[in-house]
Amino acid sequence: MREAGIIISILFPVFGGIFLLESVKMEERTRRIWCEVFACATTAIVWAVILTGNVDEFTVYSFTRGFRITLKVDGPSMLFAGMISAMWPFVTMYAFEYMERAKHKSSFFGFYIMTYGVTLGVAFSGNLLTLYVFYEMLSLVTLPLVSHYQDHESMYAGRVYAAYVIGGAAMALFPTIVMTMFAESGFVWGGHSFSSLSLNFVLILWLLGFFGFGVKAAVLPFHIWLPQATAAPTPVTALLHAVAVVNTGVFAVTRLTWYVFSPEYLSGTWAQITGVLVASATLLYASGRALRERHFKRKLAYSTVSNLSYMLYGIMLMTPAGLQAGLAHMLIHGIIKMSLFLCAGSFIHKSGMHYLYEIDGAGKKMPFTFLFYTLGSLSLTGIPLFSGFISKWHLLTAGAEAGTVWAYIGTVCLITSAFFCAIYSLTASVRAFFPVNGGDLWEGTSLTDPTWRMLVPIGLFSVLNVVIGVYPGPILGFLDQISRGVI
Amino acid sequence: MLPALLIFMPFLAGIADYIIAKGSERGRDQFAVIFTWVELALSAILVYLACQGGGNSLLSLDIPHVFSTGLSLRTDGFRSSYSLVTSVMWAFTTLFSLEYFRHEREHLDRYYLFVLFTLGATQGVMLSGDLITTFVFFEILSLTSFTWVMHEETEGALRAGYTYLFIAVIGGLVLFMGLVLLYHAAGTLAYSELYAAVRSSGASSGTILAAGVCIIIGFGCKAGMFPVHVWLPKAHPVAPSPASALLSGVLTKVGIYGILMTGIEVMADSASFGWIVLILGTVTMLLGAVLALFSVNLKRTLACSSMSQIGFILTGIGMTILLSCQSGSVESGFSGLNGHALMAMCGTVLHMVNHSMLKLCLFCAAGVVVMNIHELDLNRIRGWGRGKWALMAAFFLGVVGIGGVPLFNGYASKTLLHEAITAGIAEAGEGAAISASASGILSAIEWIFLISGGCTFAYMLKLFICVFIEKNSDAALQEKYDASGKGYMGAGGYIAVCATSLLFIVLGQKSVFNALASFMTGHADALEEFSPLSFECVKGALISLAIGAALYIVFIRLVLMKRGEYLDRWPKRLDLEDLLYRPLLMRWLPGIFGAVFSIPAENKIMKPLCAGILTAASFIARALAVGTDALIVFLRRTVLKERVIMDNGQKLSFIRKRSDEIHEAYEPIIGNFSFALMLSCIGMMVIFGVIMYYIIVV
Repeated sequence: MREAGIIISILFPVFGGIFLLESVKMEERTRRIWCEVFACATTAIVWAVILTGNVDEFTVYSFTRGFRITLKVDGPSMLFAGMISAMWPFVTMYAFEYMERAKHKSSFFGFYIMTYGVTLGVAFSGNLLTLYVFYEMLSLVTLPLVSHYQDHESMYAGRVYAAYVIGGAAMALFPTIVMTMFAESGFVWGGHSFSSLSLNFVLILWLLGFFGFGVKAAVLPFHIWLPQATAAPTPVTALLHAVAVVNTGVFAVTRLTWYVFSPEYLSGTWAQITGVLVASATLLYASGRALRERHFKRKLAYSTVSNLSYMLYGIMLMTPAGLQAGLAHMLIHGIIKMSLFLCAGSFIHKSGMHYLYEIDGAGKKMPFTFLFYTLGSLSLTGIPLFSGFISKWHLLTAGAEAGTVWAYIGTVCLITSAFFCAIYSLTASVRAFFPVNGGDLWEGTSLTDPTWRMLVPIGLFSVLNVVIGVYPGPILGFLDQISRGVI
Repeated sequence: MLPALLIFMPFLAGIADYIIAKGSERGRDQFAVIFTWVELALSAILVYLACQGGGNSLLSLDIPHVFSTGLSLRTDGFRSSYSLVTSVMWAFTTLFSLEYFRHEREHLDRYYLFVLFTLGATQGVMLSGDLITTFVFFEILSLTSFTWVMHEETEGALRAGYTYLFIAVIGGLVLFMGLVLLYHAAGTLAYSELYAAVRSSGASSGTILAAGVCIIIGFGCKAGMFPVHVWLPKAHPVAPSPASALLSGVLTKVGIYGILMTGIEVMADSASFGWIVLILGTVTMLLGAVLALFSVNLKRTLACSSMSQIGFILTGIGMTILLSCQSGSVESGFSGLNGHALMAMCGTVLHMVNHSMLKLCLFCAAGVVVMNIHELDLNRIRGWGRGKWALMAAFFLGVVGIGGVPLFNGYASKTLLHEAITAGIAEAGEGAAISASASGILSAIEWIFLISGGCTFAYMLKLFICVFIEKNSDAALQEKYDASGKGYMGAGGYIAVCATSLLFIVLGQKSVFNALASFMTGHADALEEFSPLSFECVKGALISLAIGAALYIVFIRLVLMKRGEYLDRWPKRLDLEDLLYRPLLMRWLPGIFGAVFSIPAENKIMKPLCAGILTAASFIARALAVGTDALIVFLRRTVLKERVIMDNGQKLSFIRKRSDEIHEAYEPIIGNFSFALMLSCIGMMVIFGVIMYYIIVV
C-alpha cells in the first residue's frame, strides 16, 4: 500500500506535468487550479508516506541480475522529500504571479510540476542505479525551465547547464556501474565493504562519484553553471537552483559517501582530504565572488555555491556530527535561500531591475519584502535567533570535533566565508532601507509590495526560519537519528 | 523567573509601543517612559532579592532546548547591579528623549521600538548564566542598536551605521568562533562550570588562549577596544544624544561584561590572557584620551573619552587576572579573588558603574546643547552655557567626577586601579605571572595610566571652559546665547543631567562605594583596608591632575588653539577604518581570491588548453572518419567493382575547415576552466574503464 503511495507520488506529478504541457489553450485560472491540485495532492501523498515511517527497499523493475530500479524510504529520503514537498505548492503559488506576463506558460508549469516528481524519485531511490537514473532525468527535465525565456542569455545558460550536468553525470556513471556490480543490496547506513578491490581504486571511484554528483552541488571547478542559470525565471532559480536540483547533488554525495561507500573506510584517506579541501576552497571562493557580484540574483547564486559547500564540508568530515550538521544546513539553507530568492524575485518582478545598486530605498516602498529579506540575510550570516546560527554552530563544532588539520582549515575557511556572507547579504537589506550615495531611487514611484500570492510563501519561510532558529530541538533530534543510522 | 520578566517584557512592550504609535504619538512616548520606569522598579526588586542572599528560585532560570543549547539566566551581585544600572540608564534617557525629540519627530516609532528591544537584549546579556546566552543577546542588541546610529539617515549617519553594523557582525562571528573552540575544548559554556571543565579536558593551553583571544576581540568590538574601536568615535556624534548615552554608558559595558566574565570565570589562571587584555586596555586608554584631546566636536570628544575609560576598565580586568595568577589562586569567579586582585576587581566594577553614570549625565548635557542649537562644533557652541547654572553645575560635577578629583566618584575607582598596578609592580618576580623583568612594562603602564588620567582632566576642562566659561568669538551669537538663559531644559533634562550628577558625590563616599563594591564582588567589606585619602592615593591623583592642568595650558591653549579658535589638528588620513579595514574587506581580500581563482586559471591556462584539446580531438575524429570512409570506398572499388566518387565530406581538406566550425560551436563552453576539467575527467573515465576491464575480466 505504502509502496504504491511512493510510486504514485513520483508518477502523479510526472503525468500531471505532461497533461499541463498539453494545456496550451486552457484558461489561466483553470491551469492554476490544476497546478495546485497536482502539487498539493502529491505533497499530501508524500507526507502520508513519510509520516508513517520507513519503507524497506522494494524492486520496481529489474533489468537483469543486480541491475534493478528500487525505491525505499529512510531518514535522508524523509528529510529531502519532506523538505521539497513542503516547498513546492507554495513556490508554485508564487510562480502564478511571477509568470503572469510570461509566454509559454503551459510548458513552464508542465515542466515545473514534472520536476517535482523526478526530484521525489531522487529522494525515494533505493540504490545508486535508481538514483543515477532520476538524477539524469532531473537534468533533462529542468533544461527547458532554465532556457524558458528563450533569449540569448537563457539559451546560453541552458547550454552551459546541459554540458555541465550531463558531463558530471557521465563521470558519476562509472562508479555507479561498478558499485552496482559489487554492492548487492542498495543503500545501507555505513556503506558496504569492498575488500575485493584495492584501496586506491575504491578511492578513485569515490572521488569520481564525488565530483560527478558534485557538479550539481557546484563544487569548485564545476560551479560556473549555477550563477549563469540565474537567467531562468525566479521560481526556477529559487526552488530548483537553490533547493531541489542543487540539493540533489548534495543528497547524492551523501548517499554515495554514507550509504554506498563506507565513511569508516574513507576517513583519513587522501580522498577524504581532497573532498574536505575542495569543499573548503569552494565555500571561501564563492563567498568572495558573491561579495564582488553586483547582479542581485547572481550574488545569491554565488552564495548558494558557497553554502552548498558548507553542507559538503559537513558530510566530508565523515563523522555522525558532521553528517548531522551537513543535513541540518541542507534543510536550513533551503528555507533561507528560498525566502531570499523569492524576495529578490518580488523586487525584480515589481521593479524590473536586476542590479544591487538599483535597490536603494526600495525597502520603504516594499517593506514586507525587504523585512523578510533582512530576516533571511541575518539568518544566512549566522546570527542567533535565526536558523542559520544553528547549522553553523553544528558545522563548526563538528569541524572542531573531527580534530584533523584539514577539518581545522575548513573551519577557518568557513568563518572567513561567514564574514563575507555578512557583508554581501546585509548590504542589500541595509541599502534597501537606508539608501547610500545617490539617495532614494524609488521615492515617488508606484513601487509596492506584491500581492498575497507572493508574500504568503515568503512570509511562511521566514517564520519557519525563526521557529527553527529558536526551537530546533525536534529537527536536530530527527537528524541525529539519521546520522546515527537509526532511521 | 524575575530575570525572564526583565528580559522578555521589553520585547513585548516594544511591539505594543509600535502598535500604540499607530494611534497616538503621545501615547507611544508616554508608554515607553512608563514601561522603562516599571522595568527600573523590577530591577530594584531583583537587586533587593539578590541582597537577601542566594537560593531564591526567583533569581535564576533555565530554558532548555531553545537555540539548541538552551538559555540559562543567573543573578548575583554583579549581574543584578548591572541590571539595575541598565534600567536606570534606560529610564532616565527615555524620559530625557521626550524633550530631546520634541522638534525632530521623524522615525520615532522605529526609535522607540528598537530602544525597548535593546533594553531586553541588554538585560539578557547582563543576567546570562552561560556564554551562549550572552552571545545570543549580544547579537540581538548589536543589530537592534544599529538603528540608533542610522537614526537621522544623513550621509554621515549612514556611513557610521555601516561601520557599526559590520564591526558588530564581524565581531559577532569572531566571538562565535571563540565559543566554538571553547565549547569543543570544555563541552560546556556555563560560566560556573567552564573553569573546571577546561582544566579537566586536557585541551592545550594554546587552543584555550586562541578561544580567549577570539572572545576578547568579539566582545571588544562592542566595548570599543583598540583595534576594533573604529565605529565608536564615528557613531556617537551622529546618533541622537539619548542613544549616545546608552551606547556609551551601557552597550560598551556589554562588551566589558563578556571580557570580564570570560577573564575571571574561564581564564582565571591564564597570565597570557591577562597580559593581552592589559596591553590592549592600555593602548585603548591612551589612544582614546589622545583622540579626545584633539577633537573639536562635543560628542566626539565624549565618545573618545568613553573609549579611553573603557581602556581603564580593561586595564583593571587585566590587572585582576595577573594579580590573581600571581597569588596562585586556584579558584575562579568573584569568590576566587582576594588581596590585591580583589582590589583591582573592585576598581574595575566601580569604574564601570561610575562611567555609566558619568556618561549618562554628560551625553544628556550634550543633548541639551544639541536640542537647543543643533550644533556640535566647539567653535559654534562656545559660550552657549554661560549663565545656565544648573547645567553648568552638573557638567562641572561630571568633569571632576571623570577627571578623578578626590572626593568624587571617578577618584575612588581610578585610585583603586592605580593601586592595583603599583601592587603588580611591587609583586613582580614573586610569582609566575609577573616576572621580575615585567616590572618595567608595568611601570610604563603606570605612567601611561597617569598620563591618560591627565588627558581626561585636560579634555574635560577644554569642554567645560569652552561651553560654560568662554565667550563666543561671534559677539552677536553670544548675545543670542545669553538671551536663551531660561527654558533651555525641561523636567526630563533636570532629572537626567542634574539628578544624576549628584550621584557623583554620593558614589565618591567611602561607605557608599565600599558597600557597592562589596555587593558586586560578593565579598563582605571588600575595601575595608583601602583608605582613599591616604597620602599614597592622593599623590597619584595629584600627579594626574597636574599633568592634566599642564596639558590644558600648554598643549590645548597653545597648540590646538589659534586666535581663539579651536583647531582640528588630528591628521584625517590617520583613520584605521579607511586605511585598512574597508580596503581589506571590500577590495583586497576579494581581489586576491579573484586573481587566484578566475583570471589566470580561466583565461591564460585553461582556455588555450581547452581549445587545443578540442581541435586535436576533432582532427583525430575527422581523420578516423575519413580513413574509414576511404577504406569503404577502397573496398567497394576493389571488391565490389563499383564506381564510387568521394564526396566533399570525405575529403581530408574538410578537416581543417570543420575544426574551426567545431571550435566556434563549442565556444560558449570551452571558455572556462570547468569544462576543461570535465573533459579530463571523461578522459580519466576511459582510462579507468580500461583498468576495470583488467581487474574484472583478466
